[in-house]
Amino acid sequence: MIALVDCNSFYASCEQVFRPDLWGKPVVVLSNNDGCVIAANKEAKALTEIPMFEPVFKIKKLLIDNRVEFFSSNYTLYGEMSQRVMNTLKLFSPGVEIYSIDESFVDLSNMRFVDLHHHGMDIKETVYRHTGLPVGVGIAPTKVLAKLANKMAKKIAKYDHVCVLDTQAKCIKALKNAELKDIWGIGNKHRQRLNNRGVFNAHQFAYEVSLDWVRKNMTVVGERIWRELRGESCLSLEMLPRAKKAIGTAKSFGTKLSSLDLIEEACAYYIAEVSEVLRKQKSCAQYIQVFLQTNYHSERDKQYSKSITVTLPTASNNTYILTREAKTALHSIYKPGYRYKKVGVNLSGLIPQEYVQTSLFDAEIPACRSDLMKTIDKINQKFGKSTVSSALVGNRMNQWELIKNDRSPRYTTQWNELLTIDAG
Amino acid sequence: MEFDEVAQVQTPDEAHQAGSSEQTGFPSPATHYLESRIDLNKILTRNLDATFFIRIKGDGYRELQINTGDVLIVDRSMTLARGKLAVVVKEGEFKIIRIASNDTLDNMEGQILWGVITYIIHKV
Repeated sequence: MIALVDCNSFYASCEQVFRPDLWGKPVVVLSNNDGCVIAANKEAKALTEIPMFEPVFKIKKLLIDNRVEFFSSNYTLYGEMSQRVMNTLKLFSPGVEIYSIDESFVDLSNMRFVDLHHHGMDIKETVYRHTGLPVGVGIAPTKVLAKLANKMAKKIAKYDHVCVLDTQAKCIKALKNAELKDIWGIGNKHRQRLNNRGVFNAHQFAYEVSLDWVRKNMTVVGERIWRELRGESCLSLEMLPRAKKAIGTAKSFGTKLSSLDLIEEACAYYIAEVSEVLRKQKSCAQYIQVFLQTNYHSERDKQYSKSITVTLPTASNNTYILTREAKTALHSIYKPGYRYKKVGVNLSGLIPQEYVQTSLFDAEIPACRSDLMKTIDKINQKFGKSTVSSALVGNRMNQWELIKNDRSPRYTTQWNELLTIDAG
Repeated sequence: MEFDEVAQVQTPDEAHQAGSSEQTGFPSPATHYLESRIDLNKILTRNLDATFFIRIKGDGYRELQINTGDVLIVDRSMTLARGKLAVVVKEGEFKIIRIASNDTLDNMEGQILWGVITYIIHKV
């Protein structure tokens, strides 16, 4: 059996742990680049007018009128709280696959003699007690069914956030009540196709559509879902995190920028961020993409956006090499006379660093260079992000960085931002 | 900030500890008696995943020996017992209470337990 544990409106819940004045009140969290709503708790969702992914300047009045509390995203806090949840889950089973920041699969295959519903309740209550975060638990024989059970746990009040599908009869009943859109991995296109064939619920898909049809029309991915829905486990738990295939970052500037040198500094800063992640996962990038764009929401600004992808002579994770390449790339797409909103970088073609092929004319990358990177990473880890950085990053961040006005304190990672109780 | 200094208690980097020669000199008579140093992190926090630090501002909890600037170590996984200090939520606000020895633990009078205080860090 497999449990899928996921946190209820995770970002908003993280904020609420430290703000009891907001318990039971509507809370939304905004993305840190475009100022869109990216998360809302159930109280906020109940006010149906709040559109997700709308730029916040369009709905700010709506939020204020409805007394919705809004926060800029505080990924430092969410990441740390997520670790607490995942570690707490490990108390219940050594097999925990972290699927996303707020979702994990927990292997319960060795729990043959425990009451699974009781166990699920125990998971839910322990995570809440230890971290303050509410979770839902779905338990079933396969991942796809566990995902469905988790949906039911959330949707159907009588389950009280824990739903167990441990018999064939319960699975069949669940499938009959599940629409295709509730099934993990069936996208819009396939749903349309299945609808056209008269297939509307998950039970019809799993028991009335032939395996041949699924294989032919939905490839091996569809076949796995089909089998998993029938109770045959095809997706194993992945305990080790997968290395990323590409990594990038792009954030809007605080104000529109026209001058190349400030854009360069932002670009160099992002390169430092992503190359540090590369080094952490011990891989190197073969390609680097740089893009630049104006504000497409603005009607009075001239519009321009351009992207360029460069193949590196030798795959690298060295901040200085990547910064140099990015700078050249940026120069080739920058055009004066526009007010730019955003610059972004994306490193792709990631390969393990031990497989890097040097070119014929390369001097072997001197060991001292990577020692330098190691040292810089250590310093920055110890004394805070970008304590040491390349000169191109400069020190004018306040002129381009988006100020996160509504960000909550980093309660769990910064000694100066601890939760404070007023004892007036 | 006057609170900063507490944060400077850090475990020494292993690379910065004195080593001893294996070839020359006298073997230390303490060789078989070496133990690892006291690590406050291990002693003061039993369950890091359920532990939170909370700073107190103001002198309202003097009678509980909690002063302004103190940092509470709060363990959410601990069970509440008589005589313990606890962080509770009442009407949307954090409060600190001591569970009196004659209190029944299930009668919290509308107060929701947030966590049990295990230590108070007081800077002198």
